Amino acid sequence: MILLLSLIVLSAVMIGVFVTRPAVTASQGGKILAFLVLFLLPSVCMTMGVASELERSTSTQFCLSCHVMESHGQSLYVDDPTYLAAAHFQNHRIPADQACYTCHTNYAMFGGFRAKFNGLHHVYVQYFGKPHNPIRLYEPYNNRECLHCHLGARSFEDGAVHTADPDLLPAVKANKISCVSSGCHDVVHNVGQLSNVKFWKGAR
Amino acid sequence: MKASIGGLERRLRLAGMLLIVGLLVEAICLLWARPLAFILLVCGGGLLCAAGIVVYLYSLVAAGEATSK
Repeated sequence: MILLLSLIVLSAVMIGVFVTRPAVTASQGGKILAFLVLFLLPSVCMTMGVASELERSTSTQFCLSCHVMESHGQSLYVDDPTYLAAAHFQNHRIPADQACYTCHTNYAMFGGFRAKFNGLHHVYVQYFGKPHNPIRLYEPYNNRECLHCHLGARSFEDGAVHTADPDLLPAVKANKISCVSSGCHDVVHNVGQLSNVKFWKGAR
Repeated sequence: MKASIGGLERRLRLAGMLLIVGLLVEAICLLWARPLAFILLVCGGGLLCAAGIVVYLYSLVAAGEATSK
């Protein structure tokens, strides 16, 4: 970030030279310098800036910076292992600093792009619209997002409940039975119940 | 010829100012860690920088045409 900001300041100062003394471009060297300063440097700064913002948009802190997401952030600290999101977050089954993005991105082709596009819609709703209360997903949660990590894992493939019915795992893998809404792992964020639960204070 | 140099300088100044404002917007957005900053970075800073670059490239083309005439 500091490197990028330094590059932006350097670019702005050098552009300032061309603004105050455009005659500098009369010489051959001046023309080459002008190309570097008025074309290459701003392009590099913009590309790096957008990449930096895209990376920042995957952070948990970024997602929870909207007021409407506060209760979902609190649900990550519920002191109850049956809360799916809290159990994943607190036990670092997902990266704690990218908790929202890890579970709510789409692990299909262009999934990251779709997540960003949905993010733009979130921003629009936050500032110009009215968010749903309670917040709901655009489409039912796809098992693909769970299987991205759990597929092939011993606890998933050989789990007693998962193997009790031989038809269960194929149906889960084919997204015919939902992991989170078919009565198995259906306590996810449950933000409506947060007033009745204990909270973990976090790692010290 | 003099008039074309004046035009070139004017366009370079305009390109430079657009780029400086665009880069300042980008710097502010990078320091302001809010979701709206991303939109502002792309729609504000990005457009201003793109406009600055286009004006600069156009000034090169226009200067080239003036010289050939």
